[in-house]
Amino acid sequence: MSAWRRVHAKLRALRGVVPSARDTHRHTWTVDGSLTLCRSFSTGRPAQNDFFKDLEAQLAAARKKMVDALPGSSWTPLQVNPNLPPERVDIVIVGGGVVGWSIAYWLKQRDGMREGHRVLVVEKDPTYSQASTVLSAGGIRQQFSLLENIQLSLASAEFLRNINVQLGVLNEDPIDLQFNHSGYLFLANEAVAHIMEENYNIQRHAGAKVSLLSPKRLKEKFPWINTDGVALASYGLENEGWFDPWTLLNAFKRKALSLGVIQCCGEVTDFTCSKKYMMTADGDLEPVKRIKSVKVQMPNSLEYQPVECAVVVNAAGAFSGKLTEMLGIGSGPKDSIAGVPLPVEPRKRYVYVAHCPEGPGLDTPFLIDYSGVYFRREGLGGNYIAGASPEEEEEPDVSNLEVDHQFFEEKVWPALANRVPAFEKLKVTSAWAGFYDYNTFDQNCIIGTHPLISNMYFATGFSGHGLQHSPAVGCAVAELILDGGFQTFDLSAFGFKRILDQEPILERNIV
Amino acid sequence: MLKILIPSIFLVLTAWTTPKKQLWSTTLAYSLIIALISLSWLVNPTETGWSFLGPHMATDPLSTPLLVLTCWLLPLMILASQNHISPEPENRQRMYITLLTSLQIFLIMAFGATEMFMFYVMFEATLIPTLIIITRWGNQAERLNAGTYFLFYTLAGSLPLLVALLLLQNSTGTLSLLTLQFCPPFPLSSYADKMWWAGCLIAFLVKMPLYGAHLWLPKAHVEAPIAGSMVLAAVLLKLGGYGMMRMMMLLEPLTKELSYPFIIFALWGIIMTGSICLRQTDLKSLIAYSSVSHMGLVAAGILIQTPWGFSGALILMIAHGLTSSALFCLANTNYERTHSRTMVLARGLQMALPLMTSWWFIASLANLALPPLPNLMGELMIISSLFNWSWWTLTLTGIGTLITAAYSLYMFLMTQRGPLPKHIIALDPSHSREHLLLALHLLPLLLLILKPEIIWGWTA
Repeated sequence: MSAWRRVHAKLRALRGVVPSARDTHRHTWTVDGSLTLCRSFSTGRPAQNDFFKDLEAQLAAARKKMVDALPGSSWTPLQVNPNLPPERVDIVIVGGGVVGWSIAYWLKQRDGMREGHRVLVVEKDPTYSQASTVLSAGGIRQQFSLLENIQLSLASAEFLRNINVQLGVLNEDPIDLQFNHSGYLFLANEAVAHIMEENYNIQRHAGAKVSLLSPKRLKEKFPWINTDGVALASYGLENEGWFDPWTLLNAFKRKALSLGVIQCCGEVTDFTCSKKYMMTADGDLEPVKRIKSVKVQMPNSLEYQPVECAVVVNAAGAFSGKLTEMLGIGSGPKDSIAGVPLPVEPRKRYVYVAHCPEGPGLDTPFLIDYSGVYFRREGLGGNYIAGASPEEEEEPDVSNLEVDHQFFEEKVWPALANRVPAFEKLKVTSAWAGFYDYNTFDQNCIIGTHPLISNMYFATGFSGHGLQHSPAVGCAVAELILDGGFQTFDLSAFGFKRILDQEPILERNIV
Repeated sequence: MLKILIPSIFLVLTAWTTPKKQLWSTTLAYSLIIALISLSWLVNPTETGWSFLGPHMATDPLSTPLLVLTCWLLPLMILASQNHISPEPENRQRMYITLLTSLQIFLIMAFGATEMFMFYVMFEATLIPTLIIITRWGNQAERLNAGTYFLFYTLAGSLPLLVALLLLQNSTGTLSLLTLQFCPPFPLSSYADKMWWAGCLIAFLVKMPLYGAHLWLPKAHVEAPIAGSMVLAAVLLKLGGYGMMRMMMLLEPLTKELSYPFIIFALWGIIMTGSICLRQTDLKSLIAYSSVSHMGLVAAGILIQTPWGFSGALILMIAHGLTSSALFCLANTNYERTHSRTMVLARGLQMALPLMTSWWFIASLANLALPPLPNLMGELMIISSLFNWSWWTLTLTGIGTLITAAYSLYMFLMTQRGPLPKHIIALDPSHSREHLLLALHLLPLLLLILKPEIIWGWTA
């Protein structure tokens, strides 16, 4: 009994020391000068309960603080910027686009343990405002002329069809890629029809389900096409169409993060390398570098973190050339290996969204005309996405992502209206521009190491088909890094060697 | 004793006064001379008693091998650290050498102590330079966590030891090993006496480490720089074993029953940590868990308290010290080239560095206790004495030996055989310094095959 009295006494003393909410309320009323009521309007709760509730809150806060200080939690007395990447990882992937995250996913997916090798993905723009991935038209096709490209697309399509098996995360929403399997339709005129036929044979041989259509069959199938000038058409029956690139990117990212990939928002501004000179067969001394650490600069800040690493993957897309220049590739004497730069540069391409209520229906494929103009259906409201590849001489300025509407008026619309008469009456509702990571050498990807940089792997230069190849390329690069060689897909044709030997592997009929 | 201690103390002065250009070669030569002089301890005129006796320090056949190992390790640590410390500012390099040397001084005083309290103080004192080395020169942010685990596990274990030693001092009037060895066995029967027994041993079991209290070791080994890993694996763990051996003679007759759970922990630990080794992706972590596995066998051998058990434990401690340190040096040669401890990123090194493969081979064979290396002799003696105690331990130790062979071979095959990844084609060739380092590790191990008398303790 006396214990309770002691508590009461303490309460009274405490009330003077620790003003309860009610007391302060009372004070403000008197300060206001208005008619004060010594009673508050709250249905009275006695002071004891206030005290114990405060006590409970304080105990909970103290317990939380103790738990934070125990070894299991991530609280440290030296509060550093939580966005800083770790000081040491095993593999740094520069570029957080779909190729970068695909490689990160495949690298961690193989070892099956959370605590295996450490992978860091560095992306300088988390809003992806200039990234090629999210500005892409999102198409996937097997209608290439290079066998490797066809195989990559086939494997990627297979991956995308079973995406929830591969990238599903427990207790999270399933992934809906909005994969429209409407197929690609390439149109060829007399001059290039033979190329289309040869490509068709390669594609069928590789297992792609493609069919050739004569103009008559084409008109039967798609009555809205104007078949003037069309000699042959190639239509993809399966595994072709378009999907939402943003969903794919997020799916890869979510799964990779759940497997333990570390991500960081920052920009790679420098490399620390060790350099030694090696003699080539011709007797020249070439500087061979080994990247020891990557300097990651925090956004809008002078803060940076040197990340020590064993392997760097260059998946920076349109900006890969700039990254490679930091290592001195391209700045050597003209006739040496060091003088050959990475031939990847950004090229701006426009995509216009048009609304045409009388346009082609729901089974519209992704149509690519021999003049270079393409369009596809977007959504179910009679909207279409159209664009064209500009001529080599008329490449737009890449310092910004401004859209040139004149280009639509002069180059795209006439060809489009010629091919699909219904498009005479379309109305452009919006447009955007995105970069291709354009390989100026032969417009095909560059995958593999560079002879002068021991531990940098390239996965760039896709020139417009990075998104559709991303799952398969991720698998190939992960095998290259972890297994020492290609296992599933043999992409040795895409190595940097062809650029040094000046032997391009060109796609025929690309867009 | 002083002829080694005083030069070691002056090595600290040398580290601060030598000009920078000759810093590493001078300290290396100096510590090598100290190591060679320390070999004179091995000459033991009195077969069973104390030699080099002074008022506070002495050597006997139990501490001599450990003392020589400690002194031998300092030049090896200096040799191993030379490369990765060289980019640092001058004063930090000197500080590093000072820390390593002070560690050696404390260890010599610990192993050479005749009084248990001096041993205790030196036991605690070794924690401080090691903590500084781990937290200051470690490689990544986790080193703070590692240092905390290391410090607090050992401190928490050794506080009961302090109380136990004070109690012992109170009841016997002395803590000097010279007199305590002649004490009659204590009448230990009450519950408090059992707590005292546990208090005496917990500190050493945590240090060994025993399987249940081993969590600090993988963290500390992985985050420490190479010299830190070497000294941790080679000598600091043996402090625990040595302390246990010294305390054992005082703890009769309770040990017969009370040691039962700890022996079982130790044997189970061999299998568990061996299995963990098979699933490791980090090379240093694999070697750290392999240390726990071997020291589990040592702990079991000591707790059995037979002459063969003690002998086997001592031989295994010395052999494991050299082998584990050699493996850490090999892992460091990998790390300095590829900047990664992950095994899957540095495979097929036989193609790139074939001479290093031969060292990897010998070290892996030593780790899996190939005859006639002393590793096997130690393990066999412990396994036999355990079998003598109870037939069932043979299943645990047999499976343990099998798993040890499995992960040692796994480590060798993962790092040396297999496809060479594209990113480690142009590596630095093996430096002569690295070859020297490994030779100095493995040559004594091979020579000990010929004269194991020096490391088998009292069973003369």
